Amino acid sequence: MTREGVEDVRDIAVVAFAQTDHRRTSGELSEVEMLMPVLHEVLQATGLKTADIGFTCSGSSDYLAGRAFSFTMALDGVGAWPPISESHVEMDGAWALYEAWTKLLTGDADTALVYSYGKSSPGSVRDVLTRQLDPYYVAPLWPDSVALAALQAQALIDAGETDEPALAGVAARSRASASANSHAQLSGAVPHGDYLVRPLRRGDCPPIGDGAAAVILAAGERARELCPRPAWIRGIDHRIEAHGLGLRDLTDSPSARLAAEKAGALERPVDTAELHAPFTSQEVILRKALRLDDEVTVNPSGGALAANPVMAAGLIRIGEAAARIHRGESDRALAHATSGPCLQQNLVAVLEGES
Amino acid sequence: MPEVLKAPLVVEFPFTRSLGPVQSAFLTGLRERVVLGVRTGDGRVLVPPVEYDPVTAEEIRDLTEVAPTGTVTTWAWNHSPRRGQPLDTPFAWVLVRLDGADTALLHALDAPGPDTVHTGMRVRVRWAAERTGAITDIACFEPYDGDPTSPGDHTGEFEEPVTGIVAPARLDYTYSPGRAQSDYIAALSGRRTVGERCPSCRKVYVPPRGACPTCGVATSEQVEVGPRGTVTTFCIVNIKARNLDIEVPYVYGHIALDGADLALHGRIAGIPNDEVRMGLRVEPVWTEGARYPDHYRPTGEPDADYDTYKELL
Repeated sequence: MTREGVEDVRDIAVVAFAQTDHRRTSGELSEVEMLMPVLHEVLQATGLKTADIGFTCSGSSDYLAGRAFSFTMALDGVGAWPPISESHVEMDGAWALYEAWTKLLTGDADTALVYSYGKSSPGSVRDVLTRQLDPYYVAPLWPDSVALAALQAQALIDAGETDEPALAGVAARSRASASANSHAQLSGAVPHGDYLVRPLRRGDCPPIGDGAAAVILAAGERARELCPRPAWIRGIDHRIEAHGLGLRDLTDSPSARLAAEKAGALERPVDTAELHAPFTSQEVILRKALRLDDEVTVNPSGGALAANPVMAAGLIRIGEAAARIHRGESDRALAHATSGPCLQQNLVAVLEGES
Repeated sequence: MPEVLKAPLVVEFPFTRSLGPVQSAFLTGLRERVVLGVRTGDGRVLVPPVEYDPVTAEEIRDLTEVAPTGTVTTWAWNHSPRRGQPLDTPFAWVLVRLDGADTALLHALDAPGPDTVHTGMRVRVRWAAERTGAITDIACFEPYDGDPTSPGDHTGEFEEPVTGIVAPARLDYTYSPGRAQSDYIAALSGRRTVGERCPSCRKVYVPPRGACPTCGVATSEQVEVGPRGTVTTFCIVNIKARNLDIEVPYVYGHIALDGADLALHGRIAGIPNDEVRMGLRVEPVWTEGARYPDHYRPTGEPDADYDTYKELL
């Protein structure tokens, strides 16, 4: 939704963002040990203390590392005693940010800490993600995340919308951009590799790794106090499609387009887009759905092809877009997050800086 | 810093799920080698069928049989099948629109190689030899160059319909406890209990988890605590736990080790159950080769004063 037509609505901005270096494994750290440095980094950037935060919201999944209630352990890192106002979503942190944004809209809080983390290294993430599928007709077949993305990529190739060299080009551009991103797991010239599940080669797929990210949101004047150039959230929306893969047109993303419309992203061009496209073919679909032309700088961070800490990679897209606005490198940016197989669910936020 | 500890961790559940009327008919149909779809209000036939129209959310119950033959709408070649997948030799994942259906079903296609598979190719169901009423009653699809088969006119009424499925799920992990807990476990194997102090509030956490939950800061200063401690509260366990070789009833307590600001859990023995009390002073009892105390027993000291542990309850 956008603020339009809503009376006395508050302006809310991303005022700080931090992320870990994303790595194949972080076995020497527990989840809270991995998370704490980014929490401290955003607090330090704003000068806020734990006790100053009005609302805390996190996103993670216990299935990734196989640790029940791991998000309650992670709460140790925020100093949750005496009891704080807090919530958790079993989703990417972008959806935790959405919840925090609505909380700030209500006026119940002026600041929010949003964080998310994912440790894919203890398990086999391709198999873990099968557990989110329809348990009656699909999950018993154990179709892994690369296989489902490959079905989508083949549909896109059959439709004449891309080909394997074009997909390799997306991969190469993303990893080249990531050379400027010290947090990236995969950057520079990366061999495109063999097929993992044809038509997707290793290079078309995201690296598997562990990482965390944190964002601070603030409303109105509070945001201006905390950040020299806040990244104002002009609109944010998320939409979902039917879960049956065979019901969907896999070559398009009507849910991403609708979220973009509702977030106001299509009203004026953006200069930057951070897209959460773990697979090269998904960037092709999102560019079309979100009507991004060649004028738009897409994934200057390298995107999820450079680092894909599951449950944090979507929040990182919002954080990267906001950080570019903070640095004066963007005036109007689109940030996108996805969830589920084959871009099933999509969130779009529009961020702007003031000139 | 000690080496990173690792241990295998298997998470395994048999999920028992009940079925709605449409799912029940579809899966029972598979058992009987009949493929059913469901007709939506605007006349489309959905296979696999769902209970509610994905566009209008209208309840849909109009079952209709479709053919066991169909057309591949997209595919992906799987070079190395993973555990639980339909075939253990390389195969194609396919979405198949069965003849008579308007939507596609996900399954595996048994084909000699990727060069033999293409979108638009004709396939048919290969039934599993033993069928129970599950999506795996379709063993896979196979290439088919015959004429389209006409669907039967089954209505979805079956003798002894399946009403539920049991879906086993297993995920394998390699568990690592992280820096603070690894240090704790390493010290414990030397029969020392080492907590960590919060640099801000000065509390000592045992076992340490690397962060002070009150202050939200990292703990790192290691502090040896115990070995003796005080029972802060306890209960008597009368139900035998699975895989636990301890006779019931036994006493399980919270024990604040001397120097710790957090009580840990332990079994209390060496004293009749009805004599265990708050304030009882205890010490750990180690068994040969164990990595943690087997239980705690009374030290014989006078009981601790309530004021010394009231903040640790």
